[in-house]
Amino acid sequence: MSGAAGAATPARRRLPRTLVIGLVVVGVIALLAALGPWIAPHDPDAFAMRMRLRPPSLAHPFGTDEFGRDVLSRVLAGAHYSLLMGFGATAISLAIGVPLGLLAALHRGWVEEVVMRGVDLMISLPPVLLGLLILAVTEPGLFKTILAVGLVYVPIMTRLARAVALELLAEDFVEAARARGEGAWHILAREIMPNAWPPLIVETALRITFAILLGSALSFLGLGPQPPASEWGLMIAESRPFIAEAPWIGLAPGLCLCLLLITVNVVGEGLRDLLDPRLRGRGHG
Amino acid sequence: MAGFLLRRLGSLAFVLWAMTVLVFAIVHLLPGSVAHMILGEYATNEAIAVLEAKLGLNDPLPVQYWRWFSGLLGGDFGQSLTMERPAGPVILEALGRSAVLAGVSIVLVAVIGVSLGIHSAVHKGSATDRALTLGQYFFIAVPEFFWCILVILFFAVWLGWLPATGYTPIADGGVTGWAKHLVLPVSTLVLGLIAHVSRLTRSSMLEAIESRYVLAARAKGLPERLVLRRHALPNALLPTITVLAVDIGILIGGIVVVESVFAYPGLGRMLVYAIDNQDLPLMMGGMIVITAVYALANLAADILYAVLNPRIRVGGTAA
Amino acid sequence: MAEAPPLLDVRGLSLGYATARGTVRALDGVTLAIPRGAAMGLVGESGSGKSSVVLALLGLLGKEAALAADRLDFAGEDLRVAAPRLRGLRIGTVFQDPAAALNPALRIGLQVAEPLVQHRGLSPRAAHGRAVELLAEMGIPRAAAVAQAYPHQLSGGMKQRAVIATALACEPELLLLDEPTTALDVTVEAQILDLLERLRAERGVSMLLVSHNLGIVDRLCDGLTVLYAGRVVESGATEALLATPRHPYTRGLLAALPRADRGRIGRLAPIPGSLPDLTLPDPGCNFRPRCPFAAAGCEAPQALHPVDARHLACHRAEMLHDAAWPAPDAAVADRAPLGGTLLEVADLARSFRLGRGLFRRQAEVRAVDGVSFSLRRGEVLGLVGESGCGKSTLGRLVLRLIAADRGSIRFDGASVPAMPPDGFRRRAQIVFQNPDTSLNPRQTVDVALRRPLERFGLAHGAAATREVERLLDLVRLTPAYRPRYPHQMSGGEKQRIGIARALASRPDFLVCDEAVSALDVSVQAAVLNLLEDLRDTLGVAYLFISHDIGVVSHIADRIAVMYRGAIVEEGPAAAVLAPPYHPYTGALLSAVPVVGARGRAAARTRLKGDVSSAPTEGGCRFAHRCPAERGTVCRTQAPPVQQAGPGHAIACHIPVAELARAPAALAVAE
Repeated sequence: MSGAAGAATPARRRLPRTLVIGLVVVGVIALLAALGPWIAPHDPDAFAMRMRLRPPSLAHPFGTDEFGRDVLSRVLAGAHYSLLMGFGATAISLAIGVPLGLLAALHRGWVEEVVMRGVDLMISLPPVLLGLLILAVTEPGLFKTILAVGLVYVPIMTRLARAVALELLAEDFVEAARARGEGAWHILAREIMPNAWPPLIVETALRITFAILLGSALSFLGLGPQPPASEWGLMIAESRPFIAEAPWIGLAPGLCLCLLLITVNVVGEGLRDLLDPRLRGRGHG
Repeated sequence: MAGFLLRRLGSLAFVLWAMTVLVFAIVHLLPGSVAHMILGEYATNEAIAVLEAKLGLNDPLPVQYWRWFSGLLGGDFGQSLTMERPAGPVILEALGRSAVLAGVSIVLVAVIGVSLGIHSAVHKGSATDRALTLGQYFFIAVPEFFWCILVILFFAVWLGWLPATGYTPIADGGVTGWAKHLVLPVSTLVLGLIAHVSRLTRSSMLEAIESRYVLAARAKGLPERLVLRRHALPNALLPTITVLAVDIGILIGGIVVVESVFAYPGLGRMLVYAIDNQDLPLMMGGMIVITAVYALANLAADILYAVLNPRIRVGGTAA
Repeated sequence: MAEAPPLLDVRGLSLGYATARGTVRALDGVTLAIPRGAAMGLVGESGSGKSSVVLALLGLLGKEAALAADRLDFAGEDLRVAAPRLRGLRIGTVFQDPAAALNPALRIGLQVAEPLVQHRGLSPRAAHGRAVELLAEMGIPRAAAVAQAYPHQLSGGMKQRAVIATALACEPELLLLDEPTTALDVTVEAQILDLLERLRAERGVSMLLVSHNLGIVDRLCDGLTVLYAGRVVESGATEALLATPRHPYTRGLLAALPRADRGRIGRLAPIPGSLPDLTLPDPGCNFRPRCPFAAAGCEAPQALHPVDARHLACHRAEMLHDAAWPAPDAAVADRAPLGGTLLEVADLARSFRLGRGLFRRQAEVRAVDGVSFSLRRGEVLGLVGESGCGKSTLGRLVLRLIAADRGSIRFDGASVPAMPPDGFRRRAQIVFQNPDTSLNPRQTVDVALRRPLERFGLAHGAAATREVERLLDLVRLTPAYRPRYPHQMSGGEKQRIGIARALASRPDFLVCDEAVSALDVSVQAAVLNLLEDLRDTLGVAYLFISHDIGVVSHIADRIAVMYRGAIVEEGPAAAVLAPPYHPYTGALLSAVPVVGARGRAAARTRLKGDVSSAPTEGGCRFAHRCPAERGTVCRTQAPPVQQAGPGHAIACHIPVAELARAPAALAVAE
């Protein structure tokens, strides 16, 4: 129904404050991660057995671990693992999943069937298990972990891309394009993608949180970067025998991980509020 | 309804079979000989050859697959390489203990999560609602394994109320002893999931509350309580079933981690042990069993959803 | 006049919503009164605030709404206090969309019985029994079975009857109806209106009927209140008000209405301009900017004052007593004579398989079942039918946007293959129904209009820009629109852009798929005039698809009536609108609520059942609903196509001579 001209414009609102704060914090963490090795007060790998298991102090703000290594330095040095896992794995799942989903949506028929059955199959394994499976039989390491986590999340991205594309393909303006005889490529690039990226961006941002979680969980189980790397999940795992006497060894990387996850989550939610408020409340593992 | 059931069962069987192929393929097709992995870097070539012959690794892959698969069908999971025992009973025993964890957890998640979500929706904008929303942010972002550490630190080390690790069967420690070992693992498992479920229930309930049919029910003069209970709730709970099914998958993942931390002798811990020690039959068997459990849980959720949703349960036209 | 106090007495009702843009004055000093046993119509277009009145009376407005009223009384009680107690008991409500108003998870019987249990204290079993009786009283066959069913199992008409049953369960004194038939097909709508009339006569219940459709209000209501942008502009007795409207807005509304009984009068008179911004209430008359009679004194507040037997909010009303609403602009050009055959469609068919249900059966729907027709250059063929008849599918089949199962299409003498060449695409385009979804939200007007030019190699760069401006001018928009995005335009403006886009490649043939159905009456008139002008100046042929026979009869040269996938009658517009009719056409025409036609109530043809009832194989697809069905022959043999006049064909077993004796459903004016 027609009404007064000038309805609210969704894409031109001011950025929500939470989004800005979140982006700033993530930016700071990323900066610290990049500069880590240079700004760390001590060598993260240096053993100093006489200084082992010291509680937090001015010289060692996060204390020292069982080998006398400065925990703060190790945390700084290990920051990049979490960020790489989160962003790298998500990038992989995006790069593989979105084209697959779009392919399935555009070429209904046997291509779609094959892709979607494959997706269903992969989804029938819980994520951690799929990651375990892939990593169990190879030499673990950072890149294999990133690859494994990325592969685990391909099905979800495929499903989303396909759903978004199907919804858009049913719109009148796409039919108008077909009435002009536009080819599949034009429709994809000019009609579908410009309208598809908001929900995809939102999902990607939320996915980064889960990628970091899964990556650190796998590292915790010993299937990520190997010692002496100071990946945060691994650090937490290594801190277990000393929980009673030196809880800071596990708490420091843990709290930093929580901080990272909360802020990435806030950024994701902020993006969603900005780009597509209809998706509010929807989130999945 | 019968057609639906048959098709879902068929789909389930297919997925399980495909899983066996996938598991087998990943284990056997990746670089590095299996025997090499088992014996380690310094094994001699003869030792490797002997082990390969013993494990039947020289036969063509399809033959090996068939041997393993047919064994599976008959309930034979092969021989555990590290424990010198049939793998089957080990797996099943571990399954039972994990099932306890999972069962208790999912019930708690469903009950608490759904109640919180409904309360939040009904009292939208209130202090409780906002506190819960804030809490959800927080709980979703904390990794499970870290929860374990925190919880152990707090309840086991500092307060000393509960045991940090281990497990006592009811036979040995009585019900209290057995239950004590469950508390920490279960609470770690449920925290993140409760946040997730309550949030989705909240939005689902809000959608129902803000719907036209609830408006119409109010226009009939029905009291608000009745409107919420009879009109909004059934429609809100339906999507929750789907959410819980997804959460079972997350729960299973969580169990693997949680059992490792708390040294709880369940299937997850067994799996990690098998991976660490290259115990292939145990590892492959464990994977298949977990997949089967997850698939069955999803099937149950699908059936429940179909039964409870009038649009699927009763098709056709009446007038 | 009635001495007894009115049942519903509303005075000075004002409503404001807080929004991001400011406070929206949805209602401003609304006054109306309904005497006991009377039916009052509340009429307005979208944005008039009429639906808010219902919610305000019921006390069901959200927390963000600020309500103020001098008086809001029902039978002497203040509704602001008493509404929660009176809802469902003494005031019943029927909302617009029955599919949304019924709870999908609960059985019908339960939902109808609820008010009885709640207010009358009946036991669930007794209430259920009474509910079944009520459903039967509403004309629902096999009421007991329906009571056990869920909403998704019922058709639209049945659902609405169930909703009405619920509203009447406790025998309320007042029935509130908010657009009760807007979501229904016109033949079903007619059944519901019959029902409401009968209920009024039998139970003496008072009604407040909110609608944008003047025909419905004319039929059911004794009194009428016209709302414009939240204010009452005129109120009075229905017949008099519609015969001689006084307020300029009411006049404009009636002048803009395309009416089936007026035939092809030539031009409609749209109301220029658009709705005022409700966040900035006008202290004077808020219709001023659009009123052709505006003069000094209009900027002063206009109070609702009695004039003869009416109430008016216009200080010039008496002065304008006999002044005519300005005649519509004359047609821009004389119409060129129709050319040779442009489009020939033969035996086109398409079926759809419905999704697999739980049950193995895969129902097949024959959306289009062997349709043939032809179209000449510059001709307008109106395609009329209700939901599910396949008209939209046919429109898309003709453009080869959907693959056909069988049949052929010839365009300008050449056969059109399943993947047509650019030559065909350039010359055959489509205009969509919904202005909100027909434009790409991320493209400016300039990009959207330029694309067809580039695609077909018609113009690039600066030449394209000139062409874009020419197109904008064609649809009566200024070049200032070029950089705008869809969300910055109104529905009417977006629809014009859609038309401009379709015309960019200078097509010879346009499919207009419900092109004006989503627009308000005043805007609709302007767009219809535009389409007619374009037809005259450009010589474009239209396949004009619509469910609204009033609109179709206004613009079409020939009319084809479609039912369940087949054309049942086709011929020159005037011939189709007069007897002999196909029985379906007759029912369709007599079902349309037309203003000023109250006396025709007796001469109505009514159909049994609903479109969704499955037909028998092999026979006439209309047989099971046909009021003139002749038994076995209709149900077993396909009806022959009879010639009822030059170029006029009817597919029916009943001989034409007999059909010609049927009474005219419309008195077509000359």
